Amino acid sequence: MNAPFFKYGLFNDEVSLIVAVLIGIGFGFFLERAGFGNARKLAAQFYFTDMTVLKVMFTAIVTAMLGVYFLSVIGFVDLSLVYLTPTNLLPQVAGGLLLGFGFVIGGYCPGTSCVSAATGRTDGWVFLLGIFVWIFAFGEMFPLLESFYNSTPMGQQTLAQLTGLPYGLLVFAVVVMALGAFAAAEWGEKVMAARKGGKA
Amino acid sequence: MKDLLKNSTLNQRLAAVALVLGMLALIAGDPYQGRTATIDAKELAVIVQNEVDHISPGDLADWIIQGRSDYRLIDLRSEKDFGGYAIPGAENVPVSQLTDHGLMKNEKIILYSDGGIHSAQAWFLLRSQGYKGVYMLRGGLEAWNDDVLFPQLAENADAATRINFAKTAEVSKYFGGTPRTGGTQETSARPSIVAPKLDTPSAAVPAAAGKKKKKEGC
Repeated sequence: MNAPFFKYGLFNDEVSLIVAVLIGIGFGFFLERAGFGNARKLAAQFYFTDMTVLKVMFTAIVTAMLGVYFLSVIGFVDLSLVYLTPTNLLPQVAGGLLLGFGFVIGGYCPGTSCVSAATGRTDGWVFLLGIFVWIFAFGEMFPLLESFYNSTPMGQQTLAQLTGLPYGLLVFAVVVMALGAFAAAEWGEKVMAARKGGKA
Repeated sequence: MKDLLKNSTLNQRLAAVALVLGMLALIAGDPYQGRTATIDAKELAVIVQNEVDHISPGDLADWIIQGRSDYRLIDLRSEKDFGGYAIPGAENVPVSQLTDHGLMKNEKIILYSDGGIHSAQAWFLLRSQGYKGVYMLRGGLEAWNDDVLFPQLAENADAATRINFAKTAEVSKYFGGTPRTGGTQETSARPSIVAPKLDTPSAAVPAAAGKKKKKEGC
């Protein structure tokens, strides 16, 4: 038996939806347990007073990367069947900035706003409503945006293709980068707490 | 060493595990090279027998009209033939360059040639290289001409067939063809056709660039 199971036809569309629901519930549960249903905690990331977002996200990235890497090295996962979102450089940079602004102002990213709404927070529901309003607006405006949306296409890119470096080296580099970021985050939190304490 | 383990927090231990795995990755090699393609003859035989690897010209025409872009249409004919007429959105890839063309193993790939032989051979070639989503246009370009571009309504057709033909005729006109009514069997009298300018995403975008709708990913 090999993964990805869906691409190998081990289950059909309906079963894939059930699997998606189960994984989604698990994802939401752990986001909530990390404190990501709270806009203050999320926004604090951008003021460097609480680095939980960075730590949780980087942990998830490193865990998933090591898992996928070693499972495909031993032949359990066929990486060539795993979907990669194609890169469109400029629109994705613009979209990333827009998402960042929304994140700082609103206190949520799309996923965490669902978590927040699920825990009954009003701001989470308002945020979620905004998401749907603007998804609709985006859909209506799409003909105007289409040329930009499809501009600067680079196809499906991986760091290994882009840099020409071996995969293993990149995996190692990302792990080292994450560990460095964790250490820096812990140190930064202490500094910020001390500064806050000094002022008070 | 024992004291170090005892005195470390869970976080530090997990970080150490990640670091060790990261170091192992340095020597473990390329994940994409970790597999060799194997051909499951039985699996292929079942696919061939059940004809699940075929796409009918009518279905393909519908997809093009709907603007679907979750597939890649590959024209296996010569550059000259491709220049003469090609199905909108098709990319011209000679069989010899198939595996170097940047086709992804997770893409839906539809092959066509004049008849069915070249596409069947290319289908086998790609399947043996581990491409999973490879399909053939049933009957090739000849069937596309007969079914989509120049569909024919028999003189003695019943009412239901005539109603269905109205839709077929619209599709034909969309692709710049001419639907033919009546029993004229004059296939050689087909007007030469020029590929119409169609507003399909796959027609405008070069190979491997932004071809897929975002139906996966986050």
